[in-house]
Amino acid sequence: MTTMATRPGLAPRLSALTKVVEHGPGRLDKKLLTEANTLLTQAGDRLKLSSEHTVVALAGGTGSGKSSLFNAISGLELSPTGVRRPTTARTHACVWGLEGAGPLLDWLQIQWRHRFSRASALDKGDSQLHGLILLDLPDHDSIRALTDTEADRLIGLADLVVWVLDPQKYADASTHRRYVTELAGHDAVTVFALNQADRLTKEELAELVIDLNDLLRREGVEHPSVVPTSAVTGRGIESLRSVIATAVARRRAAIQKLEADLHRLEQRLSKAMPLGEALSAPSSVDEARRMGLTDALCDAVGVPAVGEAMENVYAERSSHWVGWPYPRWFSKFRSDPLRSLRLQDLGEEIRGITTGSVSAQSAEVANAVQALADGLSGGMHPVWRTGVHQAARSRSSQLPQALTEDLTEIAPQLDRVPGWWRALKVWQYVLVVAFVAGLAWLAAGLLMPGQLPPSLELLGDSATLPWVGLMMASVLGLGALSGIASRNFVELGASRERERLEREMRRRVAAVSTTMVVEPVERELTRHHAFYTALRDLSP
Amino acid sequence: MNTAMDDGRQESPGEQTLSFRPVGDEDLTEVQGDDAFDAFGTKKARKKPAASPEPSAPGEREAAAASTGPPAPEEPAEAVTADDDVPEEAGDPVERPSLFVKPASLGGPGPRKAPPVPPSDGEPFFAAFATEDSSDEEPEPSSPDGPPSLDEQPQDDVATEDDEPQDAEPGDGQPQDAEPGEERPHGAESASGQARDVESASGRPQGAQTGDEESQAEPTLDEPSPADESSQADETSQADGADGDEPEAERQPRDGDELRDREEPRDGAEPQEDQAAPQESQEPARSEKPGGGAATGEKAGRGEALPAEAAKALTAALGTLRESVADLRFGLDLPGADEARQTQAELLAQLEGYVLPRVRTSAAPALIVVAGSTGAGKSTLVNTLAEKNVSRTGVRRPTTGTPVLVCHPEDRKWFAEGELLASLQRLDKPAPEAGARSMVVVATEKLPQGVALLDTPDIDSVVEEHHEVAHRMLDAADLWIFVTTAARYADAPAWNLLKLAKERGARLAIVLSRVQPRSAEVVLKHFVRMLTEYGLGEIDRFVINEAKVTDGRLPDSEVTDLRLWLAELSVDEERRAQAVRETLNGVLNSFRTRVPALARHLEGQVAFRTELRSDVEAAFRGALGEVDKASKNGSLLHGEVLARWQEFAGSGDLVRSLQVRKRGRSDKHAPERVLAFKAAIRAGLEAVIVAAANRATEEVVARWRHRSELGATLGEGLDRPSDNLVRHAGRAIASWQEHLSELVRTDGVAKRSVSKLVSFDPDSLSLIFTVAMFSGTNGEGVPHRLVNALLGAESLRGIGAKALSDLRARIGMLFDEESMRYVQALDTAGIPDESVATRLYQATYNLEVAR
Repeated sequence: MTTMATRPGLAPRLSALTKVVEHGPGRLDKKLLTEANTLLTQAGDRLKLSSEHTVVALAGGTGSGKSSLFNAISGLELSPTGVRRPTTARTHACVWGLEGAGPLLDWLQIQWRHRFSRASALDKGDSQLHGLILLDLPDHDSIRALTDTEADRLIGLADLVVWVLDPQKYADASTHRRYVTELAGHDAVTVFALNQADRLTKEELAELVIDLNDLLRREGVEHPSVVPTSAVTGRGIESLRSVIATAVARRRAAIQKLEADLHRLEQRLSKAMPLGEALSAPSSVDEARRMGLTDALCDAVGVPAVGEAMENVYAERSSHWVGWPYPRWFSKFRSDPLRSLRLQDLGEEIRGITTGSVSAQSAEVANAVQALADGLSGGMHPVWRTGVHQAARSRSSQLPQALTEDLTEIAPQLDRVPGWWRALKVWQYVLVVAFVAGLAWLAAGLLMPGQLPPSLELLGDSATLPWVGLMMASVLGLGALSGIASRNFVELGASRERERLEREMRRRVAAVSTTMVVEPVERELTRHHAFYTALRDLSP
Repeated sequence: MNTAMDDGRQESPGEQTLSFRPVGDEDLTEVQGDDAFDAFGTKKARKKPAASPEPSAPGEREAAAASTGPPAPEEPAEAVTADDDVPEEAGDPVERPSLFVKPASLGGPGPRKAPPVPPSDGEPFFAAFATEDSSDEEPEPSSPDGPPSLDEQPQDDVATEDDEPQDAEPGDGQPQDAEPGEERPHGAESASGQARDVESASGRPQGAQTGDEESQAEPTLDEPSPADESSQADETSQADGADGDEPEAERQPRDGDELRDREEPRDGAEPQEDQAAPQESQEPARSEKPGGGAATGEKAGRGEALPAEAAKALTAALGTLRESVADLRFGLDLPGADEARQTQAELLAQLEGYVLPRVRTSAAPALIVVAGSTGAGKSTLVNTLAEKNVSRTGVRRPTTGTPVLVCHPEDRKWFAEGELLASLQRLDKPAPEAGARSMVVVATEKLPQGVALLDTPDIDSVVEEHHEVAHRMLDAADLWIFVTTAARYADAPAWNLLKLAKERGARLAIVLSRVQPRSAEVVLKHFVRMLTEYGLGEIDRFVINEAKVTDGRLPDSEVTDLRLWLAELSVDEERRAQAVRETLNGVLNSFRTRVPALARHLEGQVAFRTELRSDVEAAFRGALGEVDKASKNGSLLHGEVLARWQEFAGSGDLVRSLQVRKRGRSDKHAPERVLAFKAAIRAGLEAVIVAAANRATEEVVARWRHRSELGATLGEGLDRPSDNLVRHAGRAIASWQEHLSELVRTDGVAKRSVSKLVSFDPDSLSLIFTVAMFSGTNGEGVPHRLVNALLGAESLRGIGAKALSDLRARIGMLFDEESMRYVQALDTAGIPDESVATRLYQATYNLEVAR
């Protein structure tokens, strides 16, 4: 038993089919997938089995003369013929050249008692049929066949199918609709024997052959090979034998059959999943899309708002620390609405709100993910589109939580107090004290001249008073100035921190989205790409 | 009941006669003459169609006896008419049908003998004897099938003989019998006449005609009979009433005992009156049978016998049914929808093309549709029977594309202009481009009057249009002739057709053609066995041997049986009518299942649509619930909203929005941050709505896809919310926010104690209010307390409730808009109307009532 030498082309196509089958589940119609699987198995089995043999099946309706032809070709009365319909219920097989045929017959599931060998009895002059396994199938159109799929099965397995037609039944829907129209592309491995030609006159036969040819062409058999035969008179048997002998001698029927099957399957696959622009669909998530996703997720977390809030809140709060105390004290004299509402404690709580917590809004997160999937799967087949969406959403329930946790780590402490605020505050109170002290000095100098301690007496002179006043004014000015300046510093620092914060947040958002969204999506995109590549490679 | 009904049928000659075609297993090759006899026997055999091929010896005898019973009486007639010809065989069969009507057969002899020989008793006996004798004489001819049924009758006869006097009594029976009696003679005459004619096949038609004329007399006989029969005139006065009731009623009683009775009555027509009392006494006994029979009788009769009101009511009921069926629309391509549409088309075509015309004009000639596989020889058969090349034959398959109807010239008008199959365009001769939507009508005198043959396209070739046309033809058929061949008789399509015939209760005859003489026996045996297993064992069968076809016709000898069969139908009006009625009844019966099946499918569609709609509703209800949840559990206060709230509070804007009341400071320009906060809230809500809508749409499509293929198709392009959603949502929320500010401004009049002290910015307050609403905490938290302090708990609750319900309403409207897209998709697919299904049921019910 030799392994069949596969023509270049069949092997890569089969491996492409393997890939299709591999990537198909969940995306491909179940029936098609099963068929692809079956074909794959069938091809694998057939290629492993004897390449020296060609399986030729005689198929047809009941009463067309399959068994008669079988006997006529084999030259022996191997398969019982009869007038009762249906006659043959089990497949009979006749083998020319036994070695290696056993496993093939096993694979075809031909019963032992229905196997015959021409090796001994007919070797004379039959050498050109060496390697032929001729099958006499049961019919496919009787009421018996409704519950028996044997004919169906073997028609699918045989390397070459000889359709046995007769003048009565040659246009039956049961043959044509169920099988012949399915055979488009199988021209090379299909032969039509128009049996019972003896029932017709010459002219009638000619007319009928033309009609049959037309019919077959209409159904997509481009080059029908029609052989008129008569099992009764033996007419045409020789030509049928020679047609079969040619196929057997070339040892190509099995391959051609598989190629034709592959072709048909490929047609159906590409009808179900048109290649179209599928391969130009993105196979990975490009930078722009990642950016888009990150932006959308940042919005969902409120990153820009957090930054702004930080800026504003710092500016507001810093005034309590670094602002010039006098205006602050002065403003306290303005009536506090909270106090007038007797809600003084609320002030604390309001300050408590601004703890700087960050959280992601799940609805916006969902929308962001959806938008990414929409953009990626735009031109895809609906099944794949759904797949991409599912992949994108595969971890989206944890995404808001993950984002929240990740970003909370770096969330700004809106209620914190930097050290330099305290230093400034000290400095300003120093100024305040200086101002008050100056004021006291001035007052003492003016009201009680000479009573000042000698150390302060230096300037006891009234002439120095204006200088003191000037000094005090400049202390005031210094305080106000430093208040303004430090506020500016706060704002500057805040905006710098905001930038840093936003950058850091974006980075983290991007990292989270990559692991939780982009990666699953890319896996799906890769699968999509691989599937369609395999589909493309499937065609010769 | 059953038995009663059986009885009724027995009497009605049509059915079983037909069913007993000669082709018994053993008879296959037998002479045609035998067949004829069988036909006889079979007719009587009626009762037990399933007759086993091997009747017990006695059975056979009896059968023979029974069958011969009638013949015996006839003999005289034949003798008189001088018909010794061989053809009589043929002739007899033809006539016998008429004889079979037992009343007739009995009556036949009766009238004749009655006048001469008053003592009726003697006669019956004689007759009985005669029959037995005859049976002995002709045991073989009897068909195997026949005997069983016959058994009963003969026995009955014997049993009842003693009672005869009593039996004779029924005045009812008499008159009726009398009428048949009249026929009898006619029949006999015609029979004899036919016999002559029949000698040659060509003669047939004429014979048939004569038969026809006489048989035509039949219907009228009922009334005329009294007049005709002077001797019976007295009785007829009574009889009329009875007759009027129904001929069938009479027949039923015949089953067994009645047979007897009638004979006697006839014989002693006069005696009846004398025995008036006995009659009455018997009546109760009879009444039972008639009761049972009445049912069947009525049914059968409706087609014909009850013309006026019944037919009218039936027509009306059928008309309603037709309309209801025509109104059906199966918009959704659910699995089965194509079948339903096809059934609908079939029903309509059948109602318009067959049932209605048939009910209106029940006396029309019978349409016999020849159907079968391609290449079975339908056209050849029709050509041969018509003795004219009316339908093209050939080796190409399929051969016949245009139906061809062949009828007697007298019937041509009916078929050419009638309503039967009115949708088909009539042609005078085949035209190549005619196609299957027309029908060629050809008249030939070679066909007997009253029966028309319709050659149909095949049922199984590659041209699928043909199958449909063939089925349509069969739908309009009064009788089916199913043609198959020795090579095809096991084909699945053939058996599907037989199954259909069985389901419809259509009168059926089977022709097995192209039988090689040498294999005939085996093939036939096998075929018959298959038929028997299938419950069709008793159907009329004809065998046509494979023969040289010349000029599209078979040798005439091959179709003699069929010709006879047709002639019988032609001659025996009653039998034909019976056949017609039975098929019609079968069709009407089939409506009981076919129409409700349609209604069920429609209901299925309605239910499916309801399911799809409920999917949409559920999904969007879920979406609304999601939004609701989000607005209550605080999940809205995340992301940007949270950040903005913190900003709003932390930057002092919150406190600043409250102002200690001072003149001229109330209206403040809303600061940037307030606007940003507002926008954030809007965006947050929008996102929640869009996310919910996304999920809802996906869910709808997923559910639809899960339901069926069709759902997936319908949902195509609907797996995303409409493009307008975001815009509409934004607008809806913005206006809701406006509404809320308005509420706060108007309804939220601050507590007087507060308003004296503090003024507030309504915009900011409405934002705080929103946060309070969405934060979900109950009455705690800053915003709550603040708003509470400002507006008071009362108006807080009031505004809160109003604002929430307003928000819900707005979002609800948004979602309604979205779900409308699905409803529209459903609607454009077709709106099955629930009430139509109800109307269908109603119409079916009404039809039953009208029957």
